[in-house]
Amino acid sequence: MVKKELLKNEQVERVLSPHPLSFMKLQALCIFVIVWGIVVWWLTKFSEYASMFSGNNWYPLILWGLVLLLIGVVASLVAIQWTIFFLYLFVFAGAVGLIFWQHWENDIPLFIFIYSIAVSIIGFLIVELYRRSHKYIITNLRIIFKGGIFTKRERTIRYDKIADIDAKQGVLGQIFGFGTIIPVSESGFGLGSDKTMAAGGVEVGTKKARLFGFAGGGKEVQTPIARSYYELHGVYPYKDVKQLVETLVQSHVPTQYQKEQIEFEKQQVDIQTQMRDLLHKQVNEKPRRKAGRQPNEEEEPEDEEVDEEKVTKKKTVVPEETFQPEQVDIQQQMKELLKKQKTARVTQPEEEVEEEETEEAEKDEEEEKEGK
Amino acid sequence: MANVPLNIDVLFVAALAPILGVVAFWFLQMFFIEIQKRMLSRLRHRHEAFCRFTNYIGILFQTICQALGYTVTRSGIAAFQVTVNYGKVEPKKEKKGVFEWVARSFLLFGPFFIPAGLVLLVSYFIIGKGFVFPTLVQYTFVESLTGFWVSLSTFAIDFAGFLINIDLLNPLHVGFLFVLLFFGLGIRPSYIGQERKEKIDILHDLRHIKDHLVEKPLYILAIILILYVFYVLSLFLKPVLYVGLFTILGWMSLTAVIAILLTFPVLFLIKATDEIRPHWKLIPFVTLAVSYVLARVFFIYFPTKQVEPVSLLVMLLSTILMTILLIKYKRTNRFKTATKMKHVRVADGKKRTPKK
Repeated sequence: MVKKELLKNEQVERVLSPHPLSFMKLQALCIFVIVWGIVVWWLTKFSEYASMFSGNNWYPLILWGLVLLLIGVVASLVAIQWTIFFLYLFVFAGAVGLIFWQHWENDIPLFIFIYSIAVSIIGFLIVELYRRSHKYIITNLRIIFKGGIFTKRERTIRYDKIADIDAKQGVLGQIFGFGTIIPVSESGFGLGSDKTMAAGGVEVGTKKARLFGFAGGGKEVQTPIARSYYELHGVYPYKDVKQLVETLVQSHVPTQYQKEQIEFEKQQVDIQTQMRDLLHKQVNEKPRRKAGRQPNEEEEPEDEEVDEEKVTKKKTVVPEETFQPEQVDIQQQMKELLKKQKTARVTQPEEEVEEEETEEAEKDEEEEKEGK
Repeated sequence: MANVPLNIDVLFVAALAPILGVVAFWFLQMFFIEIQKRMLSRLRHRHEAFCRFTNYIGILFQTICQALGYTVTRSGIAAFQVTVNYGKVEPKKEKKGVFEWVARSFLLFGPFFIPAGLVLLVSYFIIGKGFVFPTLVQYTFVESLTGFWVSLSTFAIDFAGFLINIDLLNPLHVGFLFVLLFFGLGIRPSYIGQERKEKIDILHDLRHIKDHLVEKPLYILAIILILYVFYVLSLFLKPVLYVGLFTILGWMSLTAVIAILLTFPVLFLIKATDEIRPHWKLIPFVTLAVSYVLARVFFIYFPTKQVEPVSLLVMLLSTILMTILLIKYKRTNRFKTATKMKHVRVADGKKRTPKK
């Protein structure tokens, strides 16, 4: 990764790409084409059933194409991905087109054999190219997903935005040690739903007898699902990567206790800011007040709260009538803020309160000793 | 009804003959399983994925057998899970007594016979010959044992004949060979662990089986009684039924032994190629395929009667020769560490550091 792309204080933890066997679903499509091509060639040329196909040159092609498309439909329904069917349809159409174009009608089985191997090799190369286009960069701040052969796609997700981590490891993944990790964000990135439909019609006879087939469907269920370039697809070593991501997420997501702490600190900062502002205001208005100020420490405060405040802020014990109305207002506001601070302290986590209480008790004891 | 001479040999001792035969073949099967497990455990440090794969097959069969046990005893299956490291089957109803015992028997004995039974079924359709039941005349112990042996030897000869004449350009034959290898790597009840202490040997399996049998002697007695009643009935109705039942079990064991034996050359080849330098080690595997195809092409232009076995021989010899030559001239670095060193790519993508 280019260093320019990194953010401030960002460090790359790992650069990953999918395991060569992680796109086995796509590779299996190519394997099927190659195996079925070989079987058809053997079946129509060398097997004991070869005579069955000798009647018509097109029989091998019909058999090959029908099974290919049938498997395409079944695989599409199972995988809920109609691309498979259209891919096989394209392969079949390509074969038919080539035969007509080049007039290879005389040796169709051999053509099927060579064509299947050629198509599968191209398929394997495309899958490999697709796999190599993926790049996942795990940094200390975020995960960067990059992918796409022609259209480059990139997406990043920050750890504090990850709400959940979905991890899966298939049989091949368990054997070879790779797996897929989908970070699901709070906004729903990484979630999807499955649905598929298939319909077909057959007309029997010319008048009324008609059949209409309808298959497929699926519930609208939200499942962790994402494109391979938006998830950590087939990463190796799976366990280590999963642990790393979980650790990074954990370190970026605050716990309930930490949240409370942050909230409390926020309140404290707000109060202190307001108090500072008020003090500034008070200090700025001091020259006007100086003449009228009559400090009297023996005078009793109005209520108990003021008594407590006296310990911390002795400035506030000054009788109200000696101040200007603005000063009184400031003092009033400060009183309220101190009150607020006090109530906020009560709600803070027990341990901290206990610690503070013990500290205060110690201080009191020391003060008492000094007094004695 | 058969004309049966009534004496002790016919009435009691002869019943034991096929049982002894099955037990002998079962022990033979366990012996070869043990050899295979030892070979696999030695390969583990270099071929982790391969061992995981064999473990997965073994655990898969074992879990299926356990599930079958719960299905047969009508306990139902609440949960079914198979991973590379363990399999889990939970019954819907926790049944006790004989049902529990039967379900456990499936778990302990199933992995030896059920996968082998499946291979036997496939071989019946692919090979189609050698499945001959014994014909008994005198119904004595010796004759029962001889009949059992003849049935098994006929089957073994025909199976071996098929393997020698196997046509590797025939998709059906290639598929069957893969089935044999696939099952051969998994016909075992226990697991090859990552550590030495986890390696479970034949004694461990046998101890489990012994404990299971000793636990409920009454059930064993009942089974013996049922078998004896079946023997007596078959003796007077159709003697081949009793011997035939055990012959099928014998065929299963024999199929398992053949499947396990077939995996040995594969394991040897993997072990031998470990001695060869990287990249070069692929050549023996390429030779395996290319030499066979070349031999077959050669025999198209120079026809002979025994095309398949000669091609097979050419394939095996050329692979062995190529492996020996490569070990001699392209031997791998001998100072390699005993365990495979795994590396992790560090941040800059260039340096490599040992994995923590």
